[in-house]
Amino acid sequence: MPVRRLTRCAVLTALALALSVCEGLFPLTVLFPLPGLRLGLANLVTVYALCRLSGREALAILVARCFLGNLLGGNLTALAFSLTGGLLALGVMALLLRLPGLSLYGVSIAGAAAHNTGQVLAAMVVLDARAPLVYLPPLLLCSLVTGGATGGVAGLLLRRLPEKA
Amino acid sequence: MKLRALLAGCAAFLMLTGCAASGAEETERTFFAMDTVMQVRVFGDGGEEAVQAVCDEVQRLESLLSRTQPESDITRLNQSADGGTWVALDGETAEVLDMALRYGEETGGAFDVTIAPVMDAWGFGTSEEEYRVPDGTELAALLPLVDSGLLTLDRENSSAWLETAGMEVDLGGIAKGYAADRAKAVLEEAGITSALLNLGSSTVGLVGGKPDGSPWRIAVRDPADESASLGTLALTDCSVSTSGGYERYFEADGVIYHHILDPETGYPAEKGLLSVTVVTDDGSRADAWSTALYVMGAEEALSFWRQSGDFECILCRSDGTVQVTEGLEEAFTAEEDGNGYTFEIVRR
Amino acid sequence: MATPLRSSAADRTRPTVWDGLVVLVILLLAGALFAALLPKETGGSLTLLVTLDGEEIGRYDLDEAAEGTLVTIEAPYPMTIELSPRGVRVAETACPHGDCAAAGWIDRAGEQIVCLPNRLILSLEGEETTDIDVVIG
Repeated sequence: MPVRRLTRCAVLTALALALSVCEGLFPLTVLFPLPGLRLGLANLVTVYALCRLSGREALAILVARCFLGNLLGGNLTALAFSLTGGLLALGVMALLLRLPGLSLYGVSIAGAAAHNTGQVLAAMVVLDARAPLVYLPPLLLCSLVTGGATGGVAGLLLRRLPEKA
Repeated sequence: MKLRALLAGCAAFLMLTGCAASGAEETERTFFAMDTVMQVRVFGDGGEEAVQAVCDEVQRLESLLSRTQPESDITRLNQSADGGTWVALDGETAEVLDMALRYGEETGGAFDVTIAPVMDAWGFGTSEEEYRVPDGTELAALLPLVDSGLLTLDRENSSAWLETAGMEVDLGGIAKGYAADRAKAVLEEAGITSALLNLGSSTVGLVGGKPDGSPWRIAVRDPADESASLGTLALTDCSVSTSGGYERYFEADGVIYHHILDPETGYPAEKGLLSVTVVTDDGSRADAWSTALYVMGAEEALSFWRQSGDFECILCRSDGTVQVTEGLEEAFTAEEDGNGYTFEIVRR
Repeated sequence: MATPLRSSAADRTRPTVWDGLVVLVILLLAGALFAALLPKETGGSLTLLVTLDGEEIGRYDLDEAAEGTLVTIEAPYPMTIELSPRGVRVAETACPHGDCAAAGWIDRAGEQIVCLPNRLILSLEGEETTDIDVVIG
């Protein structure tokens, strides 16, 4: 892996971490008490990495971000939640980006929905209960908004940043 | 409604994850002892050992205080009830007997551990017997045997004797409360600061508060409805005991006979009370008082409360009033719709 | 060496019809899931746990129990319990007092019926949340 790519991955990981932390400072759950609800700003980095780098690098950034984020604060359960959600979102978005016709809005919304689904599935496994499934429908509705918002920002980001840095 | 359920669910979810993070581990065990089902819930580290210690302690006490175990102190005492024979007892058995005798005096005989022969006549003695209604002559013959004055205790030498053949001691009205006290002591020795002891659903012992420091929430059962409650008590670090006719009863020829027998008459106590809940620091006292107050009836129970000042109580009367003594005013929250009861705070 | 994904998505500035389709699919999924969960929410899914002398001898999902299902329990004093989607009761028992049968129906998570002579506990478990730690009485 060329040094430039490696550096780019490192910078993006740091950016993703910073975005996660920022997001944690203004939890959406205060406005609307739904466990697992968040803006998903770190998803921006995944979208960007998928479009400008490669699936492999996007995966590397995601995994590194989850583990480092867990070091910054959180427990094993939180890691399981963010990793499952993140991986599912990455997979879905990588797939959808290959389809013609979609814009980043649709990709990002699907990614957010996948992220929430992954989190809820992880919660069901961790708690060994069906209860968390109750949160999925409202979370899916919220993902339309949060995904749309991050999709818009991702579009801006990709258009403003030159392809070859 | 749905939103409320969702919000409650969210709160539960957050609490669940919150608990996982704060590491207040819960250890729970359900076991059979003293003719009932007991449940111990311990929060924090070392729960497994602490729970085991409680089980061992309760079983140890049962082996001393039971009157169904063939080798127990009480069985030996009962078997030699023929006058004149001192029975050597474990120091702890003597201590519990001493308490029982004192409680008997303080309650003017409403609490009496020598009620056993009459209980047996009704079939309330153990869980293995059939219920039956004894006739008047049978009860009249048994009543002279119900007299704590005929139980002589020598605390110094830890021995006792029963004066009349046929007399029997049953510590069922105090043993669970005493067990709650001992279990609390065992847990505190083990460094446990948060635990809930449910010793057969009529006796509850509280160690500290919940792991998050908030008080335990104890629902007081509605005597008329198994799955409803009169209200909730928010308490820490104390013992709670309830006596109610609904706990054990049977029906014969359309009449309901319950298990709380009046030592004076030998018949189920009918003094206008459906249940009595006593809150105090001392488990054995809470246990004995709840039975005694039930036997006394509401008026006498309240004047007893006014005199003593070391316990609080909730009286559920058969006329539909629930009387809560003033010390519980803060702790008690009545059920929202009241379940058809009227609530009143009783002041000294 | 992996190459960047060539996606046309990045070049679009406005949402497309296909995006609308994604939104629609998610809406449908959310709706379907919500509908599927509804009866469970109101009924309060209950599981009956039967323990004999500390050992679990049976577990029944009451949601799936037909009204009036009778189950015979091999205990020292044999008993028959009746299951319904709303709860459970002891229908018949050979134990001396029959206190367990007198207890009637239990229908809320956390409730128990105990048969002392049998050392048997019927307890209801469910996802219902309550702020009560213990019931006395």
